[in-house]
Amino acid sequence: MLPIRRFALALLASMFAGLAGAAPSVPEESATPEEVITKVWAAAKFLQDKGVSGFASLNSKDGSWVWKDSYVFAFDCRLDRMVAHPMRPDLVGRPIMQITDNNGKYVFKELCKTGSQPHGGWVEYVWTRPGAGRVSRKLTYTQTADVSFSTGIQVAAGVYDDKLSLDELSKLTAKLADPTKYPAH
Amino acid sequence: MAEQKLGNPAVVGLAGFGLTTMILQFHNVGWMGIGPVIWLGLIFGGLAQMIAGLQEMKTGNNFGYCAFTAYGCFWISLAMILIGNQFNIYVSSKTDIGWFLVAWTALTAILWVGSMRISGALGLTFTLLLIGFVLLDLAHFGYPELTVVAGYELMATAAMAWYIMAHIIFADVFGRDVLPVGKPWL
Repeated sequence: MLPIRRFALALLASMFAGLAGAAPSVPEESATPEEVITKVWAAAKFLQDKGVSGFASLNSKDGSWVWKDSYVFAFDCRLDRMVAHPMRPDLVGRPIMQITDNNGKYVFKELCKTGSQPHGGWVEYVWTRPGAGRVSRKLTYTQTADVSFSTGIQVAAGVYDDKLSLDELSKLTAKLADPTKYPAH
Repeated sequence: MAEQKLGNPAVVGLAGFGLTTMILQFHNVGWMGIGPVIWLGLIFGGLAQMIAGLQEMKTGNNFGYCAFTAYGCFWISLAMILIGNQFNIYVSSKTDIGWFLVAWTALTAILWVGSMRISGALGLTFTLLLIGFVLLDLAHFGYPELTVVAGYELMATAAMAWYIMAHIIFADVFGRDVLPVGKPWL
């Protein structure tokens, strides 16, 4: 191999290595709305089975409730407090109703209102994507969790997306909730 | 030789029943976590009340024998259900706990009839307890918001149990009936 070619190859290799090193720590894969819905349903069922002892698992950053760039969190709408948040342990046990996003939206007031509907619902706000240094548009699906000897608990998870509309997400949720209404072609 | 004075096991039974019922309601209305409920449920509401219940046998009081022993076992089993859930031993879902409560509601309904034959205060305690159990049943089968209503209602039940406990203790220490329990309803 000619020295010049060897040099060029080495240069290329170092450039790729540099690119890889400079890559942001944001997870490469993004969670899908379908994943979010099924995770939230699974978390609600998990809490219905395990009761308040299930909160510890939801608070774990390493468990199955954190995946790709999303995570499940839980909050108590009646007692106004965060119950489980794997990414922000500083919020756990703290009041939530006064939390606003960068646009002044009362995030948890909206989540509590939407989640109390049958089959829950979606809320749009801006929040920090795990690993990213700035806020992004987040669409969060939330639903009530039926927990023994507790009331007002909701679970939620979201996707970070600039294009999806709340309307199409609601349709997707309805479809997943009752597939018989939407037969496959 | 004078006969040795014996204590009334009901004072311990009512104390344990009342206190553990009270502390579970502090949790149900959201003032505190579940931890103390489990440990008090095992020791005071459970062990102490159950022993008090077993001691009722010698006094010839079948109502107290059954009620205190049964509710003592209720607390031990409820605490163990919650501990089991924590450690994944025979995990009991909300529905499972709901049916557990339904069975205890049925037993309470039988004792409620007997309680009305004993005194007005005991009749009222069991009426409140029965309503509380029904509210908790409903809270476990579709009306979760009733957990809070049951919470306040069962606090009244616990207070009534303590009233009867105080009636027995005060009658003993003051030598007269300070807190009357009223005539039986039946």
